[in-house]
Amino acid sequence: MNAKVISIYAADTSGVCSALYELGGMTVVHDASGCNSTYATHDEPRWYDRKSMIYISALTEADAVMGNDSKFIRDVAKAAGELSPKFIAICGSPMPAMTGFDYSAAAEEIERETGLTTFFVDTNGTHSYLQGAEGAFLNIAKLFCREGKEKQANSVNIIGATPLDFSVNTSVSSIKKWLLDNGFSVQSCFAMDSSLDEISTAPQAAVSLVISSDGIAVAKYLFDTYGVPYVVGVPVGKSFSKKLSADLKRAVSEGVCINSCGEKAVENAHMIVAGESVFASSLGAELGAKTVATVGIRNSEVLSGTDIFCEEEAELEKLFSQHKTVIADPLFRPICKVASFVSLPHVAFSGRCFLKDIPDLIDKDVSKKLNL
Amino acid sequence: MIKLAFYGKGGIGKSTAASNVSAALAQKGLKVMQIGCDPKADSTIFLHGGERIPTVLDLVRKGESFDLEDMVRVGYNGVVCVEAGGPVPGLGCAGRGIIAALEELEKKGAYEKYQPDVVIYDVLGDVVCGGFSMPMRKGYADKVFIITSGESMSVYAAANIAMAVENFKSRGYASLGGFILNKRNVKNEEEKAAELAADFHSSVIAEIDRSELVSEAEDIRKTVMEAFPDSTAAEQYRALADKIAELCGMGEEK
Repeated sequence: MNAKVISIYAADTSGVCSALYELGGMTVVHDASGCNSTYATHDEPRWYDRKSMIYISALTEADAVMGNDSKFIRDVAKAAGELSPKFIAICGSPMPAMTGFDYSAAAEEIERETGLTTFFVDTNGTHSYLQGAEGAFLNIAKLFCREGKEKQANSVNIIGATPLDFSVNTSVSSIKKWLLDNGFSVQSCFAMDSSLDEISTAPQAAVSLVISSDGIAVAKYLFDTYGVPYVVGVPVGKSFSKKLSADLKRAVSEGVCINSCGEKAVENAHMIVAGESVFASSLGAELGAKTVATVGIRNSEVLSGTDIFCEEEAELEKLFSQHKTVIADPLFRPICKVASFVSLPHVAFSGRCFLKDIPDLIDKDVSKKLNL
Repeated sequence: MIKLAFYGKGGIGKSTAASNVSAALAQKGLKVMQIGCDPKADSTIFLHGGERIPTVLDLVRKGESFDLEDMVRVGYNGVVCVEAGGPVPGLGCAGRGIIAALEELEKKGAYEKYQPDVVIYDVLGDVVCGGFSMPMRKGYADKVFIITSGESMSVYAAANIAMAVENFKSRGYASLGGFILNKRNVKNEEEKAAELAADFHSSVIAEIDRSELVSEAEDIRKTVMEAFPDSTAAEQYRALADKIAELCGMGEEK
């Protein structure tokens, strides 16, 4: 995102930490000491209530300059020996990216030394949280998902759940409840309130529900490898959630993948919804509002022909000025000078600043919830 | 597909050897891709008539979208030529530049599109940082060939490179394919090169005599293989290409 006034989205490293937070692994960010509060507190609302093995390697300038990779490998292996995690994930920051640190080789050496499944997620601190979370989810799927004996009828994988997109309010449990109310069961959830064991059974699901851009790659992997079709959309509002439920049923019976939130045509709308592609597109579908995706997938896998992807502050400001109402994270407000602004906080954009104001819109009357 | 890298002291003749080996392999009917990993961006210049081509990093720097075809020139006998390029001289980080360029090439699907039988990475100078070891990492070159003369500084640089290859053994990086003696006609040159190779339990796989034909060919913007295919120099490069092909198991692959 190119921004002068507004905020920017959380970085790829935060996405990795958030995606793997509850899975019992050890996540190590190769970065200078002092940076862990970025990943672990500013971007992580679970930090004070729930334990997780997230560490920073405390990379020093001397180690970076001298290529002291063995120290990193030794420290990670030693810590893993004491903590016995279910896996080790390593990811990086700008400094090792500049020195060309070889994560793949380091992961192999750590795995050889510890006997624990070790993988790396290609991050350097300059991409969005969605890229990091996507890489983390994909590694988990490839390394831990195994085909079970039989498919579970009407069971659903929820893919793309992190507090960066869904906070720690009741949204994710509401998605699960909504699925149950509509005759489905939950096979797994990548990756909130779901164990690694549950996630390893994802290939047995009848269908996957992608609720964020970071879930598309895993959904495609499960479809290509195990034939599990997927549907894209967040069940926000009463009307769109009804469509999403029907699409899930059709995906199960016909084995097809459906971009539910992208199946809309919104012309001449007076309202804009801005935010992560899948969520904004879903809310746009519910409200008949124009979707302006500001982070995430930018093509027809998620967006419709009338949706827009825009990450330029000046262009966003212009777009906002051409509409009567803008629904977006409060940190977009400074560039919304004409339209009426409706606040919808997003942790990946404003961190913990507006945590208590994030509503649960799942299967609810959205207009009422947002006071439209 | 086999992948190999040429390393050696700056100015020792890596690009000349790489281009002539590329040309020799292409004459045999193999599809060759040569990737210059040097900010000077002149590795492949005599494979396409001396024309400067846009480097991968030039295109990245512009910030506009570009296609694979924009960073590739198909040169002599179908050799696919790529130049990684580098940052503005004196600024940025050339090593990181090599990483970024090779990643970009992979991202654009260069290997899938051109499906080369042989990929040659021509890497500048010594393995001075992580970026310059990139071409010898897993997924890139399988074998490293080190070019040296009998001059002390060249032998010293070659030993450093061989040591780096040795150090990276446990990481599954490229193995040492051997040393190539590019003669400068110094005293005891063969013995010095043989001693160096023995220190690393390797061998001198080919000797290239100093030849005026190299600069004569360059004057007309060609490789020796193209300009003087019947010369002794061309014969030596042909023999080097055959030896490299044999060491990389190319016959087995075909």
